Amino acid sequence: MGNDDLSLIRAVLAGDKDAYGLLVVRHSQSVFSVAFRITESEADADEVVQETFLRGYRKLESFDARANFRTWIYRIAMNCALDVLNKRKSQGVVPIAEEFDGEQATIQPVDGTAGPDRLLLSQEIEAHRQAAMEKLTSTERVAFVMRHMEDRSTEEIAAALGIAPNSAKQAVFRAVQKLRQSLTPLWVRS
Amino acid sequence: MKHLTEEELIEHYYSEDFYKAEAEVHLQACRYCAQEYEKLGKILGGVRAPEAPQRGSEYGAQVWQSIREALQPYPEKKKRNYFRWPQLAYVTACLLFLAGAFLAGRFWEHAHSKPSVASTTQQTKERVVLFVLDNHLDRSERLLVQLNHTDAEEGQVGLPLQAEARQLLTDNRLYRQSIAERNDPLLAAALDHLERVLLEVANSPDDLSSVDIARIEKEMNTQGLLFQIRVLRTKVSGEKNNGQAAQKGATI
Repeated sequence: MGNDDLSLIRAVLAGDKDAYGLLVVRHSQSVFSVAFRITESEADADEVVQETFLRGYRKLESFDARANFRTWIYRIAMNCALDVLNKRKSQGVVPIAEEFDGEQATIQPVDGTAGPDRLLLSQEIEAHRQAAMEKLTSTERVAFVMRHMEDRSTEEIAAALGIAPNSAKQAVFRAVQKLRQSLTPLWVRS
Repeated sequence: MKHLTEEELIEHYYSEDFYKAEAEVHLQACRYCAQEYEKLGKILGGVRAPEAPQRGSEYGAQVWQSIREALQPYPEKKKRNYFRWPQLAYVTACLLFLAGAFLAGRFWEHAHSKPSVASTTQQTKERVVLFVLDNHLDRSERLLVQLNHTDAEEGQVGLPLQAEARQLLTDNRLYRQSIAERNDPLLAAALDHLERVLLEVANSPDDLSSVDIARIEKEMNTQGLLFQIRVLRTKVSGEKNNGQAAQKGATI
């Protein structure tokens, strides 16, 4: 697959614009997934996907043939997601459609018996988690998602965000601290 | 006991701590830290990645269509520049290297040709000297042998011996002068000794008797001189043969 990506990139750089379309088709699903994990908004995730592939095309000449295209486009996606989060924060926008959706509850109580009280608590926890995530800075949020949900190392986070490894580690640490402060009362109640 | 900090607990949770084993030991020994770590684990363990909504199989094509018009194709000449410049530079570098190597070879050959000719001339001269000297020592040896074996009862034997001694004396002077430049004290001393013997024989009266010869033998130590001449002949013959072998090797 890596070699196929490379031959497509060479074709694009040789003037075959449509060869890039194959790369977009091949990688857009995975870029959308990670973009949604960060933004938790379908519209924002779609915007991130489009912007990612636009930037990727414009930077394609700087792509190192020894690198993996998937990793390279993933890093661009992280930066695009960061920009979308910053824009969202500067405009004071909160994703309304996904602000609270019981279907997508992501906090899993320790006790799995799903009685009405437990379900209500789960929904409350999810609302608090989303609120806690919104309290994170854009960098903290991206760093936390990469570390906690994407299982990326500190070095990978640092490379994707263009910051020092220690700064990446501190961003994850501050994100966990804030989430802990927001969610601890709920866990005590549960 | 020093407790683990919150940062250390988080690092341990994500397995990024340098001292993982030590942290494990501490968590087993310290109840407070173990409780804190358990709380952290419950909270972080409960935060799961939101499930991304499914996108259809046409999603990639849709994304491509949405951005396609905004993209300008890369000009083909960029590819040419990208791939051909290094090749052109490589070929130019190779040609320059070959030209440099050729010129360097020419200069080197030119610079070293004259000393080579001079060296060959010197060697040739040396070989001629050795050849002639070898011949001279051979004749001298025969004269000394004849001188040493002349019996007192044979009567007058002087004339042929004196004639040969006179001829050798002239040659010996020339060789002795030539040998003085070679810095070979043994050979120079032997030729000097030989010259005195030859001078004595050559300047003796024509009726050189066996008695006179016996006197010369005794006074001039011709036996010792004969031994010296034989040693020198062996040495000069060896040098002559070595020179011939070296010349053959150089020719080949």
